[in-house]
Amino acid sequence: MSQAPEQAAIRVALVGNPNSGKSTVFNQLTGLRQKTGNFPGVTVDVKEGKIKLPSGREAMLTDFPGTYSLYPTSSDEKIVASVMTNPADLHYPRAVIYVADAINLEKHLLLLSQLIDLGLPVLLALNMADTAAEMGIKVNLAKLSDSLGVPVVFISGRTGENIQKLIVELEKLLLQAEKNPSVHPPFYRLTESEKQVVEAVRLNLGADNPYRALLLAHHADWLPFLQKQERDTLAAITETKQFQSLRAQVDETLDRYDTFSPLIQEAVQRPPVYPSTPTDRLDNVLTHRWWGPMIFFGVMLLVFMVIFYGYETTGGWVEAGMNWVIDGMGSLAHRLGGEWIANLITKGILEGFKGVLVFVPQIALLFFLVTILEEVGYLARVVFMFDKTMRRYGMNGRSIVALIGGGACAVPAIMGTRTISNWKERLITVMVTPFISCSARIPVYMVLIPVALPGAGWWTWALVFAAMYFLGMGAAFGSAWLLKKTLRTREPSYLALEMPVYRMPHWKNVWLTVWDKTTSFVSGVWKIIVVITVSLWILSSTGPGDAMLRAESAAREDAALQGLDSLRTNDLIAAYQMKDSWAGRFGSFIEPAIRPLGYDWKIGIGLISSFAAREVFNSTMYVIYSLESVGEQEEEDAADQKPFERYISLRQRMLDDRFDDTDTPVYTRATGLSLLVFYALAMQCMSTLAAVRRETGRWRWAILQFVGMGLVAYLGAWVVQQIF
Amino acid sequence: MQRRYRTVSDLKENESARAISFDDPTLAGKLTAMGVLPGALIEMVRCAPFGKAYYIKVDGVRLALRTEEAATILVEL
Repeated sequence: MSQAPEQAAIRVALVGNPNSGKSTVFNQLTGLRQKTGNFPGVTVDVKEGKIKLPSGREAMLTDFPGTYSLYPTSSDEKIVASVMTNPADLHYPRAVIYVADAINLEKHLLLLSQLIDLGLPVLLALNMADTAAEMGIKVNLAKLSDSLGVPVVFISGRTGENIQKLIVELEKLLLQAEKNPSVHPPFYRLTESEKQVVEAVRLNLGADNPYRALLLAHHADWLPFLQKQERDTLAAITETKQFQSLRAQVDETLDRYDTFSPLIQEAVQRPPVYPSTPTDRLDNVLTHRWWGPMIFFGVMLLVFMVIFYGYETTGGWVEAGMNWVIDGMGSLAHRLGGEWIANLITKGILEGFKGVLVFVPQIALLFFLVTILEEVGYLARVVFMFDKTMRRYGMNGRSIVALIGGGACAVPAIMGTRTISNWKERLITVMVTPFISCSARIPVYMVLIPVALPGAGWWTWALVFAAMYFLGMGAAFGSAWLLKKTLRTREPSYLALEMPVYRMPHWKNVWLTVWDKTTSFVSGVWKIIVVITVSLWILSSTGPGDAMLRAESAAREDAALQGLDSLRTNDLIAAYQMKDSWAGRFGSFIEPAIRPLGYDWKIGIGLISSFAAREVFNSTMYVIYSLESVGEQEEEDAADQKPFERYISLRQRMLDDRFDDTDTPVYTRATGLSLLVFYALAMQCMSTLAAVRRETGRWRWAILQFVGMGLVAYLGAWVVQQIF
Repeated sequence: MQRRYRTVSDLKENESARAISFDDPTLAGKLTAMGVLPGALIEMVRCAPFGKAYYIKVDGVRLALRTEEAATILVEL
């Protein structure tokens, strides 16, 4: 995590209010030299990136979550307060770049004044300079810099204007801070009772900065770096001094505004009235009583359709490309290392990769759409409109962002719940988000829907596909309602959300977000996929003793009896060997448990391997039904343009499959539909479980989710099997 | 009974009033940090489609507040 060279790097923090355009500035400053790291101790993802200073030195810039003040309510806001009050923290900065919106400067200075009072060297980056000028807002930089006591740079995160100047100023600030630490007069003058608290804290804990001492007293009960003993000392101090934290916070905030508002009024000229802006006119429609919700459902339908049709084109390209790679690698490996190596590479590793890569464009597309909705400012309106609906199910309006994001991938969606301050609302959101059909389920649906309804038309398949999404949503809201009834909390719950001005998406932000999320998804999943497909291939091609040889000779005898050609004979050998292999034996072992659902041992292996990640189902099926000998004729059919057609060869194999004992078809309509329902509802994703464990801090919630979703899925699948 | 004060949740659509104070200390901390200050002009823009939340404007900043949250902001008569 933290290697020595990184510790030696100059730490700079990027801080600002939500909607200050901070992430755009971060992307401008660091570009692709950024990565997602971790805050030690609190295990929260953080973005870091390198900046090259004019002198050639490098600074490590940390992008902190947007917050309004050092009195936080949600867990991502808490990060800022906990790092800035702890000089021993790895991320504690040597300087802060503070991003503020030039249009609403007054509302952005509270946190700035708090950071200055903490004694941190701060550089103020006035963002959206271009828009402010258009609106007729004039800022006297020299005056502002003078009265705040910090250097100020006008920038535009969108156009990149003055970003270089910002870096130059940053280095100046760093050099100055190294020579003589600046002593600003504090913005906030402590009250008499606060002075007593601060004196006591400084005496007992040795905090030299008075404001830092005050914050320690305010946040004694949750600051993660405090020792038990320090916590007790602080509690005793606030007790004996009768320190009322909540009241003091409000008084301090108001006092700060009183101090800097006059300074701003002197330095900033603005037009007397706020004109009606495009944002107001857009919101008249987009948050309208009737139009608002209708447009939202329209947008969601559009997103859904893009997923569905996008799959058709991109998935086809990837599959064709992968087949080409598999053929090439296979013959190369055959020549170099012999048949076993060739099989390991093509049937084990590459087939597994194919199953995943096919839907990587898909997940990128979904991240792209969700990021755009977020970037333009639309999601905040959705939160506003549906807060009441979400609350009825024990969640927060903000939960809807997670649920929409869950349509792409539950892992980032669950991490995004940090903006929800209420523990119960956040927990419920974390628990139910995996019910929403994520993009990993798409390839499984694509294979299984035509298997369940082979005769039905393309439209029926599309309808069933949509039904899977509704099933997931129903399960999410149903279980949310149940959790709401069971969980208890006295914590207050908030909406209080700022709705940003509508903006065109900043494409650099969009691309970087999509790139970051997609690559971290792929890099998280590819190792699991390789391990599983390789071990699955080994387990399904080896067996106890000479089982494989005996299976082969039995298959040859049967093939000779049936008069099969050599291609079909090889298939029969593979099938017999599969059955007798370790994997086959294990599948047969668990078959009794899943037979009530209508599943055979092959599906059993699929289910087991899917616990790593759902998309492994397809890779597993490719390995199990060893599809290398499928004739050319079928390959040509697969080139058909309809999305469901792509897996035609796999589908045909599955439909031809029969139970060994009863010789009835494995994939009846009931089994197919029941398996679909199982995949829609079951918790089959190790990455999500890990994320849930991390975000809730306890294994119990991850386990509850795993067991709960498993039961719902088993029950749902069983019911479907009975009905159809 | 005639009340002696009004809150933001009593405002009609497009009506504005100046905030005076807050009657919930926890929310007051959050709202003041977001720029809802005593003396600020608050405009009621609209109610949420399904109710229970308001879209308000405070000195050019747009906020979404729940009905209960809006009811903690006292405004002048």
